[in-house]
Amino acid sequence: MPPFREDQILIIAPGSRQCLAQLGLPESFTPARVHVRSCMFPGEKEGEYEPYKVRRKDNAATKSGAQQATNGATENAKREDEVTFEEDMVSEDGAVWPIVAGKIVDWPAFYALLTHVYNTVNGAFHTPVLLIAQPVWTSKELERITQFMFEKFKIPAMGVMDSALATTYAYGLHTATVVDVGYEKADVTAVSEYLIHEAGRALAVPDCGGEAMTQRLLKLLGSKGFSREMCEQLKKSSICEVLPKDADLPAAEKEEPKNPAAVASTGMDGQGNTVGPPGANPQEPANGENGTEQKDGEGEDEGVIDIASIVTGGKMEEYLAQKEKEKAEKAAAKKKGLDTAASSAKPVRIPNSKRYKNTFSYEDYALHNALKDANVSGKRMAEMQEAMGDGPNKRQKTPEADGDQDHSMTDATTTNGDSSAGFRRELEVGLERFQAASGGILYTLADAIHRTISSVEEVNKRSELWDSLIIVGNGSKVRGFKEALLTTLHAKYLISPSSATIFTSELPSNFSTPMATGANTPQPQSQMQPHMGGHVNPLLVAATTAQNPHLNPMNAQGLPGQFPGQLSQHNTHSSHAQTPTSIKLAKMPEYFPEWKEAGYEEAVFLGAQVAARVLYTVDQGLSKGYMTRTDYNEQGPQGIHDYKL
Amino acid sequence: MNSSVPPAAQEYAGDEINALVLDPGSNTIRAGFAGEDTPKSVVPSFYGVPQSSDAQSQYLFGENALHNPLTHMDVRNPYSSDSVVEDWDVASKLWEYSITSRLTGTRPTPAAKNGLNDPAEVKDEDGDMAMEGVEELEKPMAENPLLVSEPAWNPQKAREKTMEIAMEDWGVPAFWMGKTGMLAAFASGKPTALVIDIGANTTSVTPLLDGFVLRKGVQKSNLAGNYISSQIRLQFSQMTPSVPLVPHYMVKSKQPVDAGASSNATYMQFATPPTESYRKLEEERVLTSFKESIVQVWPGPGKLDGASGQIPGQTNADAVKTLPPKPFEMPDGWNQVFGLERFRVVEGLFSPQGALSDAENPVPDAKHTIPAMVQAALNAVDVETRPLLLNNVVLTGGGSLVEKLAERVQAELSALYPNPRVRVHTTSSATDRKYGAWIGGSVLASLGTFHQMWISKKEYEEHGSGIVEKRCKS
Repeated sequence: MPPFREDQILIIAPGSRQCLAQLGLPESFTPARVHVRSCMFPGEKEGEYEPYKVRRKDNAATKSGAQQATNGATENAKREDEVTFEEDMVSEDGAVWPIVAGKIVDWPAFYALLTHVYNTVNGAFHTPVLLIAQPVWTSKELERITQFMFEKFKIPAMGVMDSALATTYAYGLHTATVVDVGYEKADVTAVSEYLIHEAGRALAVPDCGGEAMTQRLLKLLGSKGFSREMCEQLKKSSICEVLPKDADLPAAEKEEPKNPAAVASTGMDGQGNTVGPPGANPQEPANGENGTEQKDGEGEDEGVIDIASIVTGGKMEEYLAQKEKEKAEKAAAKKKGLDTAASSAKPVRIPNSKRYKNTFSYEDYALHNALKDANVSGKRMAEMQEAMGDGPNKRQKTPEADGDQDHSMTDATTTNGDSSAGFRRELEVGLERFQAASGGILYTLADAIHRTISSVEEVNKRSELWDSLIIVGNGSKVRGFKEALLTTLHAKYLISPSSATIFTSELPSNFSTPMATGANTPQPQSQMQPHMGGHVNPLLVAATTAQNPHLNPMNAQGLPGQFPGQLSQHNTHSSHAQTPTSIKLAKMPEYFPEWKEAGYEEAVFLGAQVAARVLYTVDQGLSKGYMTRTDYNEQGPQGIHDYKL
Repeated sequence: MNSSVPPAAQEYAGDEINALVLDPGSNTIRAGFAGEDTPKSVVPSFYGVPQSSDAQSQYLFGENALHNPLTHMDVRNPYSSDSVVEDWDVASKLWEYSITSRLTGTRPTPAAKNGLNDPAEVKDEDGDMAMEGVEELEKPMAENPLLVSEPAWNPQKAREKTMEIAMEDWGVPAFWMGKTGMLAAFASGKPTALVIDIGANTTSVTPLLDGFVLRKGVQKSNLAGNYISSQIRLQFSQMTPSVPLVPHYMVKSKQPVDAGASSNATYMQFATPPTESYRKLEEERVLTSFKESIVQVWPGPGKLDGASGQIPGQTNADAVKTLPPKPFEMPDGWNQVFGLERFRVVEGLFSPQGALSDAENPVPDAKHTIPAMVQAALNAVDVETRPLLLNNVVLTGGGSLVEKLAERVQAELSALYPNPRVRVHTTSSATDRKYGAWIGGSVLASLGTFHQMWISKKEYEEHGSGIVEKRCKS
């Protein structure tokens, strides 16, 4: 009987953006059941934190502002009494993010976050914990977390595992290079024989995460009126892709069929000038099924409307009325359009990467926030949402995006995905959507990988590390990112066999031409086994034995005049030690159907579950996989280093 | 003492895992907790200086910052060519970075605010307690005793300065300093040894008797890892056609080309190319790869240019020429096979005649080669200890990882001292050789019996930094 029941084991994996957690191990491992945003909101008292933004809300104030002004005095008196609070599950206004780029920067908030996660999963008293540690956490910091866990939650046992190691558990590999692309940073870790290679590990490489890509998009699209939030959502949408080479960008003339109906929709341009500086929310003129005629989004600037300022300025009624009118007009125009150009209105099925432009649906949380702040009631908001129209029910235009793309892409990372909360609109982007990773992130990452593997002392381990790259982390979710990174590595670092010249120039006649399968790769013939005579081209021997060191007669018999006894003592080098001669992504395990569906970006959690089962159920603490309360009482927080994996 | 039998538990009084071990070198700085088998933190000794407006205010430490091709970043190193600290200001910051970034973390939150205590309790405490908390805040390593390694020729000024930094700036509760040679010998479990440590800047030979360094026997020279690098550069420039050395950061993508053919690569575009010192640092990465993968020492017997023992009338170099050469590919795809050249570049460590030289790279001094240094070291110690030392030659340091170097040292020493008991000890693990001195420090500082060796803060306050000369003799 194991000391802990499987359904009692709590796994927590804190990250910069979100914390993954789960209580209990299911029969077949599933993605983490609980995703919690890694942010806390300062509470009423200093030093206290709330998991969600709390707003003051008074019931009396739902009437319009004008009314409030007239009987302001009485209202105020009332408010004192009737103050209620409302938790806003979506807003991130004023949030404290205790983990920045993996590092814990705000300890009180971090503890509050741990407490919140612990309470969310509602562990019973006898809940052992497996904590997945960020690679950048220092030994001292781990001790502090250990102390906190044991003393605050009175847990019976705790295990700590490095996230890179957990990832290799998920893949079932003992030697691998783990590239974890996070929010603001990426970690590159070489794991060899289940051991993390600490020296030369590229920790928290800055500007290599998802945020760097968002910033890149913002830089490209900022002049076209895109906000940061829009770029963020664009990045998460399925139309944002990283193409392997810059040259593959689709040409401008391959635009989708034009629809005369779109002309009608530009009618709102005039009104667009009245409010909002550029850089606020653009109001996409052509949405819905209509193709657009705008060449390069020039018109978008004019279409910019700062809806938030309208709302706060009390002009919402006006605006809605106008919007309503527009819609009617548009509908009429569309009818007309359908008559005239019925055939061309049908979207052609072209993959995203071949299209010059594409659209995605954007959820406006800023507006949502503004409305909430203005105390707009839920019903009213729903009305407005509808009025703004073209909203939640609209599907994305890319046909393939609807079909074979995984839907989790768009909302997997918006954890508290209350999908009705935001206002949806369709936004259109040009070629910029292929350039998210163009800011040098791929090169920085490739260099970090090369650096990490090159710092592994065992030269003979390196080729194995190159052959099992694992790219995880939600930052790598952007379509094509992994492939593009692999292409970059291939282009920059791959060592091609140096034999090319030799085979073509001085090929002895008794060798058949080597085939791609390697079936008749020339083997060293018996005539060249004894001392290297002058008649054999030494280049040839080098070439034929480069990949197969055991074939090299030099290795077999040693240098002339060498001590016989000391032959193999120091000979750990292979004849062609320069790496990499091949670079491959590690193969994903396929026996977890739920994971297969969700994607392996959060594979670290799968590994954590595997590890939790191994440590708590199989091993049961025999090989010091976790620290029990007794151990803690004896050794104190410092003891955790004996149990850390 | 028989080193193969582990001491009984009560004899070594249990392990102490709390101490920090710092092994600063001129290429990397190794730091970690005592009792662990590898240093957790390995930080390059190079640092970046952005040439922006507020130049002095910030230095860039760590691999990530260092290898980032910024346009105006100077890469520097606080060490002199003798592996002694020159720039104390930067060196102390670098050391601190190596410890805080991976081990202790930046300053902890005071106990009152760390969420573990009831806020009500804090109010009850008097002002003095609070002040104490503030003081602790400013010292990043107030909780851990610190063991620092130093080269055997470290001047007294430098030792005292190191202790002052540790005590005053970092607030360590206890301190000790040990010579790298001694620590490396401990790592291989030998209190009596002749340690040959081939580092980046310097190669040193340290005779050690019962755990004490025999100071007059210590030898050092600059024929070490960096010297091999400069020999490779020289070799590249002397080959026909000369070998282009293009570091990775300049290449965007490369195409396979024939051996010896000019490269076919697309290059990165820089508005302002990174500085010369940055390029040198990045070139060094390529040279390291070259050293790791194809450079090899002629294993002996005899010199590379000496007469062959097998075939009369031929030299060993002639025998090497018949061996298959090894290919090496540059970051831009240029590749070539190297035959005699890959042996030539390390020959200078053993014979000055074998070294490459030109106007800027003079022929090395004959007394700086490894065999000559071993001879000099042995001549400086008592006659009766010499056989003991020769039986326990320990070869360590990252530079010793060059293929067949251990065999060559063995051959050279056997030729010098025709005695069957001459033995060169190396571990086969590259990690153990690279971090030899650190591992020795880790072993030493975790021993219970070592407790009495520490110089406590109180002793320091009483006697000043001069105490380090008295207490850390070995």
